[in-house]
Amino acid sequence: MTDEKTHVIIAESSPIVSVGLSNILQQLPHSNIHVTELKTPSALMECLKSEHPEILVVNPYFGGYFNISGIREAYPEIKIVAIETARLDKALREQYNETISIVDDIETISSKIRNLAQMEEAADGKEPLSTREKEIISLVVKGLTNKEIAEKLFLSIHTVLTHRRNIARKLEIHSATGLTIYAIVNKLVDLSEIKI
Amino acid sequence: MSKHYSPSDSMASLISENYSLIHIMTRFGIKIGFGDKTVEEVCSIYGVDTNTFLAVVNFFMEGFTHFDKAQPLSLPSLMQYLKQSHIYFLSYSLPSIRRKLLDGIRVKTNDVSFFILKFFDEYYDEVKTHMEYEEKTVFKYVEDIIEGRLPEDFHISTYSDHHEQVSLRLGELKKILIRYCPEDADPNLINDVLFRIFQCEKELSNHCMVEDALLVPEIKRLEKRLTDNKDM
Repeated sequence: MTDEKTHVIIAESSPIVSVGLSNILQQLPHSNIHVTELKTPSALMECLKSEHPEILVVNPYFGGYFNISGIREAYPEIKIVAIETARLDKALREQYNETISIVDDIETISSKIRNLAQMEEAADGKEPLSTREKEIISLVVKGLTNKEIAEKLFLSIHTVLTHRRNIARKLEIHSATGLTIYAIVNKLVDLSEIKI
Repeated sequence: MSKHYSPSDSMASLISENYSLIHIMTRFGIKIGFGDKTVEEVCSIYGVDTNTFLAVVNFFMEGFTHFDKAQPLSLPSLMQYLKQSHIYFLSYSLPSIRRKLLDGIRVKTNDVSFFILKFFDEYYDEVKTHMEYEEKTVFKYVEDIIEGRLPEDFHISTYSDHHEQVSLRLGELKKILIRYCPEDADPNLINDVLFRIFQCEKELSNHCMVEDALLVPEIKRLEKRLTDNKDM
């Protein structure tokens, strides 16, 4: 989802690399990335206590030699990316989920980060709604509850919820009023049928 | 590249270089018209803690990417800032966007325009509820902590994570206006509304960042100190 922020921590003592990478990540099209830059291992340890980043981009020589196995053990869910400023040996690279090289172009960095964060390609309303989804929107707009919709369409409530999630994702609209606006403009409902 | 300000910098130069800092100043209760005084001098005139003021300014300037935990913050100053931010959003910024929206889309009943306004009002209520909750529970708790009391029934860690929601909905309104704006809307007024929404969205997200990254860690530190003292 493009609206949800992906939190990336950059742990790198060189300001050239850190600021450069931070700017690139924040300007990647169709991604909403929040970056925290940290300059010292102690700041990183402190930050990890309260923040829960999806991705940690780190110089393998951060603070002398970065203790990747320690971090992995304490925070197994964080994807760890090595910053490659000079050729890294294979054994070292393999400990990381990914490497970003200082010679990578923006496209490459973008696709690496996207894969790691499992970001979907921005929908931007390009993905068309199915007939069933349109039908559900019109019922939502008419004021029916999920349960009533399920009964009317002979679906399980679970299926209705899945449809509603897909609608929200495709249209990037999450509220009933937002859907009403969509439905009026796209003539899915007649104005007289809308429940205010 | 961002700049790091210090107590001896001139307050006037700070604003000339970054006009968006005016908001921060106002929320700390500082008014413009301070001549050539330094940041430290102006802060002391207004009874604002210089470290806290600069922590917010520098945090803002660096795009909320640096945590500088070296200096302890003054919670009363930070609270003043946060409370004023709430007043700004609820009593000034959002109502003025609503007035512009009302003029721009020429609201008629049972029409898209009506639902756009309804969407805005629902959003406003959501922000209001959120901010009132913060004032009643979180800020109240912080005041207890400042006075050295540690209430049993609340911890700062209880409160977090529903921040995303607040700016998300404003983003949705922006998308709705861009995609489904009624044809007879006044283009200049609507553009103005959109610019203000973009700005407000950014400001709200900055506001939440200050709460999450400056207020919460500071409270956690105090909670720990109070708990440790209790155990001794």
